[in-house]
Amino acid sequence: MPAIEVSGVSKRFGSTLAVDDLSFTVERGHITAFLGPNGAGKTTTLRILLGLVNATGGRATIDGKAYVALEDPVGTVGAVLDGGMFHPGRSGRNHLRGLARASGVAEARVDELLELVALTDAADRRAGGYSLGMRQRLGLAAALLGDPEVLVLDEPANGLDPQGIRWLRDFLRTLAGEGRAVLVSSHVLAEVAQTADEVVVIAHGKSVAQAPLAELTARSGGGMRVAGPDAGRLAEALRADGAEVHTDGERAIVVRGRSGEEIGRLIAQGGIVISELAPVGSSLEEIFFELTGAEGGPS
Amino acid sequence: MSHALSAELFKLRTTRTSWAVILGAIGLVVLISVIAAATGSFAATEDAGEDLLQISGLVQLFALVIGILAVATEFRHGTITPSLLAVPDRTRLVLAKLITALIAGALLGLAASALCAVITLPILSARDAGTGSDSTEIINLIVGNTAACALFAALGVGLGALIRNQVGAIIGALGYLFVVEPLLGVIPGFSDFVQKWFPGGASSEVAGTSGLDDPLGQLPAGILLAAYAAVFLVAGIVMIRSRDVSA
Repeated sequence: MPAIEVSGVSKRFGSTLAVDDLSFTVERGHITAFLGPNGAGKTTTLRILLGLVNATGGRATIDGKAYVALEDPVGTVGAVLDGGMFHPGRSGRNHLRGLARASGVAEARVDELLELVALTDAADRRAGGYSLGMRQRLGLAAALLGDPEVLVLDEPANGLDPQGIRWLRDFLRTLAGEGRAVLVSSHVLAEVAQTADEVVVIAHGKSVAQAPLAELTARSGGGMRVAGPDAGRLAEALRADGAEVHTDGERAIVVRGRSGEEIGRLIAQGGIVISELAPVGSSLEEIFFELTGAEGGPS
Repeated sequence: MSHALSAELFKLRTTRTSWAVILGAIGLVVLISVIAAATGSFAATEDAGEDLLQISGLVQLFALVIGILAVATEFRHGTITPSLLAVPDRTRLVLAKLITALIAGALLGLAASALCAVITLPILSARDAGTGSDSTEIINLIVGNTAACALFAALGVGLGALIRNQVGAIIGALGYLFVVEPLLGVIPGFSDFVQKWFPGGASSEVAGTSGLDDPLGQLPAGILLAAYAAVFLVAGIVMIRSRDVSA
């Protein structure tokens, strides 16, 4: 059973269909990026998954159950959602203590988490005075209260400085490495390219792609670039297999329509020597625009 | 439920707003009690003590506000999202808030009445004014105000859940009590009916301070006010369950 399963979910606000028959899954041990332009329906989908917004149709489950039916919600799922979620007059420590009480989590866990997200020094100040980055870290601490196996984060990098983004990326990587399922939404491609294993791309409330990041890049973008002394032999093998191959100088080729893994298999079969195998990186933005139908300009 | 309740009690006492409302209410009662007991002219009355004890009834409004804030503040600051993530059953969350409001309202009413009695009765004795020292009457007034405050706080929770907008709910509630209900009382022949059966009148009857010649007894009035609170609570729970929480 996947950790998260969204199946056929739709949501109508008045005459607008914000989410349209959306389906995807998130596996344990993976970071899955939930990607789409602003207004694509990401936040609505995540809120439906967490029982905050009622879906018009379809079903979103965590460990096979709707969020509201979970026996220990905080111990199963941790969520960081967008927006000011703190009472400005309450201290960060008391915010976490209140949530800990509500979910039966021991108070010692609060101090542990404040330490983890580096908020110990500011913990007793009113949360209204926190910087955006501190708020995001407090939100993350709240999500981790119950030491959950599933994490859902809505645009967690918003407001973080480059250092904070790097910290977050390493942190999510560690969590996934521990076997947890991480679903992280973003409208910024660069973040995703360096963090995610899997990508779910949505546009106008519909899923337009779900695939491992590398495969997505290879499939619809600029292809995979392979370099090495035997590039010519590999090109022949690939062409024989029906792939589209362009030469890129004497010792390198660019392959379209094949994933890195598929190319790697041919390389191994043919005993071919290569020095480089990588997606043609600059095309990621283009894939995104191509998939979502978004314009390059500000939206 | 005990987890949710413990969290609500904790949340109530960890913001300055709650303390400002509670201490403001009590401070006001103390101030008015001292001034009235020290400067009032009680030559014509036998039971000035009971009259002065009615001062503590003004905390009923503050109790109502505490109830409203318990729900509406969560929507104002978006804390409803983490609260619902921790307690996804919305009915349970509202019920935890209801119990918290009942406790806070009762404590506020009791503290205000007790303080008022402790301040005014000795001053009246010192001035040789009639305190109307029938202790049963005084106890009834204290118990009545405690109950009225608890029920008004409960009604506030229902109202907050129904309206969700903090400013709107408070202005609506105070506007009703200070403008709408008095205006309805202006209709000829309708005044006694309003004071007897409408929420504002009922709260005075519960507190034992109604101006009517034949008010409902404190207990029947308590049941009436509890029924009003129940109507708002049920409506509020239905509303909060059906709405999307999107911020």
